[in-house]
Amino acid sequence: MNANDELRMKKLLQQALPPVESNPEPGCDLWPSVLRRLDARAAAPPWFDWALVAGLIAFAAFFPASIPVFLYYL
Amino acid sequence: MNSHPYLRAFLSGIFVPTLILPIFLAVFIVVRLWLQIPVPIERGLVFPMALVPALWGLWNMLWLGSHPGTHLSVGLHGALLPLLLLPAGTVAARCLGILALGSHGVTWFQGVYVPYALIAPCFLAALAGYYLVWKYIVGFLNRVLGIA
Repeated sequence: MNANDELRMKKLLQQALPPVESNPEPGCDLWPSVLRRLDARAAAPPWFDWALVAGLIAFAAFFPASIPVFLYYL
Repeated sequence: MNSHPYLRAFLSGIFVPTLILPIFLAVFIVVRLWLQIPVPIERGLVFPMALVPALWGLWNMLWLGSHPGTHLSVGLHGALLPLLLLPAGTVAARCLGILALGSHGVTWFQGVYVPYALIAPCFLAALAGYYLVWKYIVGFLNRVLGIA
């Protein structure tokens, strides 16, 4: 590769890659929002949902004949 | 991750039924072929295997399309699906001969008797089950696939 090719390659690379901004960092700190999202996902289900789960289990235990019908409708 | 949102909604919608149906099939094979129990389960599999997964996928696509206007949560949207599945499944069951209407109740699969008084609680339980599954499983998949 001679000097001419190197110059040409350099020019092509500069054309292909976008210029890096003077300040590439985001405007604000993103880590707190990541932590908030992780905390939101780890939140426990509300009592109402636990009550529904308990009700469903009790219903299936008291009326087992309903289970194949549930499975049919899925 | 911003392309084909409806395809991703369909895939996350069909996840639960397509995961459970092979288990159905395994139970069917054991009950029908191994234990030789004369229950017409193969006719009962037509509705859940042919229609239900596609309906779940389409229902999730409908949620994605209607959510900006309705602001309905995915759990409540999923809880509405039995309103469509109950009549469709009942009509299919009647046509396939696996549901017989009696004077005091209905007989499923020529062996499972459900009194009429139990149908309303069954329906409410189905609504609750659908609400939970859609809220926690389909909602989780929608978040993972970047559409919620």
